[in-house]
Amino acid sequence: MAQRTLRGTGATPRSGVGTVVWYGRDISLPDPDGAVDPDAETERFVDAVGTARAELEAEREATAERVGESEAAVFDAHIQFLEDPTIEDAVETSIADGLDAANAVDDAFGEHIEQFEGMDGRMAERADDLRDVRDRLLRLLTDGERVDLSDLPEGSVVLAERLTPSDTAQLDPERVAGFATVTGGRTSHAAIFARSLALPAVVGVGEELESVEEGTEVVVDGDEGTLLIEPSDDEREAAAADSGATVVADAVETADGREIEVAANVGRPEELEPAADRGADGVGLYRTEFLFLDRETPPSEDEQYEAVREALDTFPEGRVVVRTLDIGGDKRIPYLDLPEEENPFLGERGIRRSLDPDSDLFATQLRALLRAAADGAGDLAVMFPLVATVEELDAALAALDDALADLEDRGVDAERPEVGVMIETPSAVFMADELAARVDFLSIGTNDLTQYVMAADRENERVGDLHDPTHPGVLRAIHRTVEAAHAADAWVGMCGEMAGDPDLTELLVGLGLDELSMSAVTIPDVKAAVRETEYSTASELADAARFAATRSAVHDALTQ
Amino acid sequence: MSHERVVTIVPEAGLHARPASAFVQAVNDHDADVSAGPPDGDLVQAASMIAVTSLGAGQGDDLKLVAEGPDAEAVLDELERILTTPEEELDA
Repeated sequence: MAQRTLRGTGATPRSGVGTVVWYGRDISLPDPDGAVDPDAETERFVDAVGTARAELEAEREATAERVGESEAAVFDAHIQFLEDPTIEDAVETSIADGLDAANAVDDAFGEHIEQFEGMDGRMAERADDLRDVRDRLLRLLTDGERVDLSDLPEGSVVLAERLTPSDTAQLDPERVAGFATVTGGRTSHAAIFARSLALPAVVGVGEELESVEEGTEVVVDGDEGTLLIEPSDDEREAAAADSGATVVADAVETADGREIEVAANVGRPEELEPAADRGADGVGLYRTEFLFLDRETPPSEDEQYEAVREALDTFPEGRVVVRTLDIGGDKRIPYLDLPEEENPFLGERGIRRSLDPDSDLFATQLRALLRAAADGAGDLAVMFPLVATVEELDAALAALDDALADLEDRGVDAERPEVGVMIETPSAVFMADELAARVDFLSIGTNDLTQYVMAADRENERVGDLHDPTHPGVLRAIHRTVEAAHAADAWVGMCGEMAGDPDLTELLVGLGLDELSMSAVTIPDVKAAVRETEYSTASELADAARFAATRSAVHDALTQ
Repeated sequence: MSHERVVTIVPEAGLHARPASAFVQAVNDHDADVSAGPPDGDLVQAASMIAVTSLGAGQGDDLKLVAEGPDAEAVLDELERILTTPEEELDA
């Protein structure tokens, strides 16, 4: 297929070049020269067609009900392609000649896909339909084995419908040159993951992405938000040479002397060193979920202790803010056997789950943290996610006191770290003065705060415009939080994606944030932006932005 | 004995998408062998969605239909109805 460009949303201001590996198509064809039993292969083919037909009928019904009859009609066409006599004849002939069912299907469809691709407009779209039907059959015929994300060839560009947190947890950043997804926006998990590893990524490309074939060479341009299929030599070289902004290792202050801590959001131990290399003063958000994912049993206290120690020893002069376990929502952990919830983002997640009296997960984690605080080189801070009430905070603080007393009783070295609350719910914003009076700091999680203030799902592109922290409603929530923290002599940080946007640094400094924590990739850009900022003008800008009535008025203020 | 008919295509989409689905469905629902194609060209197997789609027949084009078998007349009536019904009225 010829050179072309697909557009999506850039997740990382980086480019990379590599070879397409599809994840989630679940297909790897057997050796076509392998010996097969034609009767058995024919039976497998017939069974697969039957199963595929049942799947398509079910999807047709569901779509007709949810979306509408005319949208469901595409499944009728798929059923007809599935049972097309031309395909059936070709497959049965190939099998009789000794080919296995999967390769026979691949060949039979391949010929017609090519034929339709050569035509224009509506005809070319039929190639996508045929691909869909082919992949459905091949998934069934190859037992649906997925590509192993932890064992990809070097220089792979992963393409997928979407990548879940457990998918990205398996990706080896050394081997992956970038990725692109059909769905997702700037704050989707896949995008955040890409930024934390400075991995080139484009999300929300749309269904057009599915037309990119396995093995194609592509450039992922996370700055422009484009995917170049079969790039020219110049484009390929430019992408391969991209290495980003200059690292600033020192702590930074504004031009008029206000210190701003610039820290990294980290989700896995492998990200600690790269964060330090990119000039992070410390860690402003250490997500501890990685300790719990992809395993059969919960991690022990010692294992958690070691992981936090490692982080503290990576930043001996800095501070590491650890968020206690934030499961629930969309992060599933099989061995915890958590109940299915109708609406997990409004369910038992974050601190709500940790305070479950039937579970000792929280107490174990707190003991590990208190021990690491005593032994680690850097300064530990601990914060609780998704707090909505003072009662929750009081219960969490009591659990911390209990864990400390428990360790001291046993003569184990332990130290009480700084303690903070994440501000992610509208209730926490309204109660920020009461919360701040009880802790050392507040940290504003703008991804969830925006989601809950605007009532807009962060993974749903249809409400992507609402999921924007520069809406005045969100800015006023941030302002109110900062005022409440400072009135209670607490420091206040921000650890959402907003903090990592250098175009918003002046606004955030002006709003009074003391710390900004972000995916490591943009730390140099934000440090440079802090140095260029005058606090006095920044606070005028912040006032103008928060008094604006509309998002466009906010943007006007920001660009003046 | 085979039955023949030439029909001018009415749906805006031509023999694509929903009209094509309905067309192939009708062929498969009847006991008859049906071929279709341009009046002066090669005919293809009308039971094959791939073959029918690749005819690329558009609105206003003439389509020749040839049917053989017990349901030959019935299937031609049904196919003519599909080919002469505007797409938005095709739900019947």
